[in-house]
Amino acid sequence: QVSVLYFARSAELAGLRCETLSVPREITSLQLWEEIVKVHPRLAVIRDQVIFAVRQEYVLLGDQLLVLQPGDEVAIIPPISGG
Amino acid sequence: MEESEDVPKDFVKLKSEKLSVDEVSELVVSPYCGAVSLFIGTTRNNFEGKKVIHLEYEAYTSMAETEIKKICRNVRQKWPSVKHIAVHHRLGVVPITEASVIIAVSSPHRAESLEAVMYCINTLKASVPIWKKEIYEEEYSWKENKECFWANSEK
Repeated sequence: QVSVLYFARSAELAGLRCETLSVPREITSLQLWEEIVKVHPRLAVIRDQVIFAVRQEYVLLGDQLLVLQPGDEVAIIPPISGG
Repeated sequence: MEESEDVPKDFVKLKSEKLSVDEVSELVVSPYCGAVSLFIGTTRNNFEGKKVIHLEYEAYTSMAETEIKKICRNVRQKWPSVKHIAVHHRLGVVPITEASVIIAVSSPHRAESLEAVMYCINTLKASVPIWKKEIYEEEYSWKENKECFWANSEK
């Protein structure tokens, strides 16, 4: 079970800022995205623009294998615009 | 001021109150430094012909602070003579002409602090999880920095 955080446009599309999701302990970042889109199909439109932050480290959507612990924070990161 | 204890410090703050240039520059002033360089990011009133009413910022706060501190560490590696670094970023609603970010760096001589300030703002725009929403009269838009290291630049 991981905490998924939504920001900016992804929070608008998902309709919430944070929730707990059950996902396999070992999963590629792309598979994790697909799990999240099953729950929030409207997120599909931003697939090409987002990356993840897993335990506050950026992870591109792709084949990278993630090893998740219960309670880990996974954030959906749309293109940033700070400064 | 404790002159004997001028250990280099990083001052990183995300806050919703109005930012103060005086406050940020005073954080980095040091008797060992002849230069304080500052960058202030202010909100413009227009974008592509549309009138901007105000900006709204949100952040993944804990990670944003960590990423800004990483930037400070990189600054110190690249410019070892840099003394203090302060980065204040505003969150929530920022009215037109008010500051959304202030960066101040002190160093003994001016070249390092000037270069370090530029590096800080450029890297912040590329890697710190903060988002800006521009509110126009009839609509709004989530902005995307061209520096963002993973997004397509063709829009």
